[in-house]
Amino acid sequence: MDYLDRLENESIYIIREAYNKYEKLGMLWSAGKDSTTLIHLTRKAFLGRVPIPVIYIDTYFHFQEMYDFRDKCVKMWDLNLIISNNKDAVKKGITPKDKLACCTARKTEALKQTIEEYGFEALLLGIRRDEHGIRAKERFFSPRDRNFRWNYQDQPPELWEQYKTRKEEGQHLRVHPLLSWTEIDVWKYIQRENLPVNPMYFARNGKRYRSLGCEPCTQSVKGNAGTIDDVIKEIEESKVGERSGRAQDKEEAYAMQKLRALGYM
Amino acid sequence: MVVVLAVDALEYDKIEEFNCVNMKQTVYGKTDISEFKEPRTIVLWSSFMTGENKEKEVLAKGNRGMWNIRIPLSETFFSKFADPKVIDLPAYSYNLAQHEKERDLLKQFFKEDDQEKKKKIRSEYNQIAIQHHNKIKKEFLKSLKQDFDFILGYISVIDVIGHLNFGNKFLMQMLYDDLEKIVEQIKNIRDEPLLILSDHGMKAIGIFGEHSNYGYWSYNKGCDLENPKITEFYSFLTTI
Amino acid sequence: MEEQDLRFVIVGHVDHGKSTLIGRLLYDTGSLPEDKYQSIKEAVEALGREFKFAYLMDHLEEERSKEATIDTAQTFFKSKKRRYTIIDAPGHVEFVKNMITGASQAEAALLIVDVSQGVQEQTRRHAYILSMLGIEQVIVVLNKMDLVNYSQKKFVEVRTQVSDFLKSIGITPSLFIPISAVEGDFVAKKTDNLSWYDGLTILEGLDTFKKKVVPIGKPLRLPIQDIYDFDGEKIAVGQVVSGSIRKGDKIIILSDRKEVTIESLKEFGKNPIEAYAGKSIGFTISDSIQLRRGQIISHQKDLPNVTTSFKGHLFWMDDKPYEKGESITFKCATQETQCNLIIEKVFDSSTLEVMSKGEGKIENRQVANVTIKTSAPVVIENFNYIPELGRFVLVRKDCCAGGIITG
Repeated sequence: MDYLDRLENESIYIIREAYNKYEKLGMLWSAGKDSTTLIHLTRKAFLGRVPIPVIYIDTYFHFQEMYDFRDKCVKMWDLNLIISNNKDAVKKGITPKDKLACCTARKTEALKQTIEEYGFEALLLGIRRDEHGIRAKERFFSPRDRNFRWNYQDQPPELWEQYKTRKEEGQHLRVHPLLSWTEIDVWKYIQRENLPVNPMYFARNGKRYRSLGCEPCTQSVKGNAGTIDDVIKEIEESKVGERSGRAQDKEEAYAMQKLRALGYM
Repeated sequence: MVVVLAVDALEYDKIEEFNCVNMKQTVYGKTDISEFKEPRTIVLWSSFMTGENKEKEVLAKGNRGMWNIRIPLSETFFSKFADPKVIDLPAYSYNLAQHEKERDLLKQFFKEDDQEKKKKIRSEYNQIAIQHHNKIKKEFLKSLKQDFDFILGYISVIDVIGHLNFGNKFLMQMLYDDLEKIVEQIKNIRDEPLLILSDHGMKAIGIFGEHSNYGYWSYNKGCDLENPKITEFYSFLTTI
Repeated sequence: MEEQDLRFVIVGHVDHGKSTLIGRLLYDTGSLPEDKYQSIKEAVEALGREFKFAYLMDHLEEERSKEATIDTAQTFFKSKKRRYTIIDAPGHVEFVKNMITGASQAEAALLIVDVSQGVQEQTRRHAYILSMLGIEQVIVVLNKMDLVNYSQKKFVEVRTQVSDFLKSIGITPSLFIPISAVEGDFVAKKTDNLSWYDGLTILEGLDTFKKKVVPIGKPLRLPIQDIYDFDGEKIAVGQVVSGSIRKGDKIIILSDRKEVTIESLKEFGKNPIEAYAGKSIGFTISDSIQLRRGQIISHQKDLPNVTTSFKGHLFWMDDKPYEKGESITFKCATQETQCNLIIEKVFDSSTLEVMSKGEGKIENRQVANVTIKTSAPVVIENFNYIPELGRFVLVRKDCCAGGIITG
């Protein structure tokens, strides 16, 4: 059993635990590489099926290629797709001009509404520990309250494969089957399993995307990687964070807003 | 001689956190700037030197115009001294070109989408802010050895660097350390009444910084100021 | 370069230099986020100041402990041999739950000791937890050698103290490495400050750790995780924790002791005839017996223990103590039942001082030898033989204790 097998089997075990504990289980899917890998692992866990709804948060600002890729996968894997969006935000005309308000309304609020509407008790998410500093503190099963708050300092212990599967009133559980994976692991697995990926991850005109989001707020990185092999090589040599195109967006937007109010700009 | 070290965006919480004993002096605390709608630099320093709330007048000049305001000596308390020296103070003797350049880079930084270019802009921004700081520091310390009866040195580096780097605590601590050294040098040159004052403080937005809605003050002798308004220093400094 | 990363935990008493060591490892292996480091370096040069390395590490740790929105704490770095993941393990006593969680995911550990202070409360507690969790690969790091003038005598003295203590709880460290994380001595590079020491640096020491091997040679244990009914076919699923299972095998379902035959093994897109330890597999059986979660599959020979009474060793980590007579949920692999504890001996997890014998209470951060009485039969193993069936947690609303089965 090689190391990708080990990661795969750990993930399958976690997905099956979540499915065993919760009837109202859903999965977040952005059509990006991580959550698409998660769908593949789910198909493995359930012998070719995806027996849980797949939630796509649609901000209406995604790249056309993401929608195309999404629709292709839905068809190919016969997914039960739930499109989550916040109609209020659209009506109120909240746009990426105010990035922070836009993210909150079109992503966070949209998901809150969907969780309530469908009564989801637990969600599978494709986050990884190596994405971001604070994620190193994530657990495989992690409770969130109604406002999505996460008390990371006082989390229940999680020993071995005994996860916190019980949830309290008003909470939902976030389940992270890919927590132990790294960005490179995901790419190697995609290659091994021959999974479809959005072509935006590969270079066109010297630029490519390392992480996908909304068109107005997602930046490409310089790179010539045209194949998965190239991508893996590029990541191995890079010192820049995967989310460097996105991580500071919210703060930056807010800071800019503040500086404008203070007359600096 | 009366000495004022005017530090833009000097933050009370950071003084405590880094335990800047020199800047704490004998008495220290927060100033009350709650009468102002927003903690704007030009508004606050204008009000400080005139002893009046100048918010309305400054805002009337617009976001662009306000940076170019020059209040005449006669309207400020500096005129109560025979031979005052006021270095680089906003709305008074501010180096317009320098600070415009800083604001311009700030704007460029937020406009730029390319991460590499952003990095370069931030780096240039930080560099020119520190260079200017070194220049002001020198001029201020030199003036202390001369025969003025009032000296005010305005330090902008904490605010300028803070806006793009406040979350980089290490960098901020280094700048606060530098101010600690300046205060020590002031004391070594001459033991005179020294007021340290900021317009407003700063709080973090991720790596960035925004103004907090109180200022900082400290004094090296006993005095009865308590949670003072920024306009109160007019009479305080002229009656020492 | 090895493909898989090695996950290790750094444990030790608060202020013995864990964060400085992490910072130093990241710094010396070029793993710190570049922009931030760059602005600091530039400012240092412009202000004409010295680079205060210790500062930086304090800030890194602080940002890690806050909900840092800044991309600082990459706890990932690489040596020439492989990638490493440092698992977060706070040193404060209040965070012992987090330390245990972290350590339970680790394959190896660095135990850091301030050479000027020697063994302290959390040193002992953390070491004890490592031993209880069965983490056998341990390197002891004697930090802050700069504070004792790089004295070899002091190093030897503290090494003896640590070594004696560890021996008493069954840990044999593979190495003792003298370092100064602040100065960077023997973290990633050898320096002249410790010219009397001709051993490995930390980075070289980490490279001597071995990846965990999945136990294939041991008897089959397969806890059933769930039963799926897909298109009228009942498929049981679970992860093989030891040994292997083949299509056509006669197996025993425990604890019912029914014998059935494996009709087929199920894996998506494959048609496997065999599955080894580590594999999450599905299977169908030839009989119409109802399978359920919590049953354990074994072969007829090498049957595990099926019992309602056994001995364990546990670490209590809930504010509310366990009191004699309380019925609490016992979880081991996919098995879940109620149990009562008969408390034999309670001791302090740091001093190992015996607090009571046979009294009715186990308090937060205490360790106890107990006999566990379950309300239904459970399938268990000695922890040292098959860990997956030899470790358990006790749960009220949340997990209150973790432990191992000793007999």
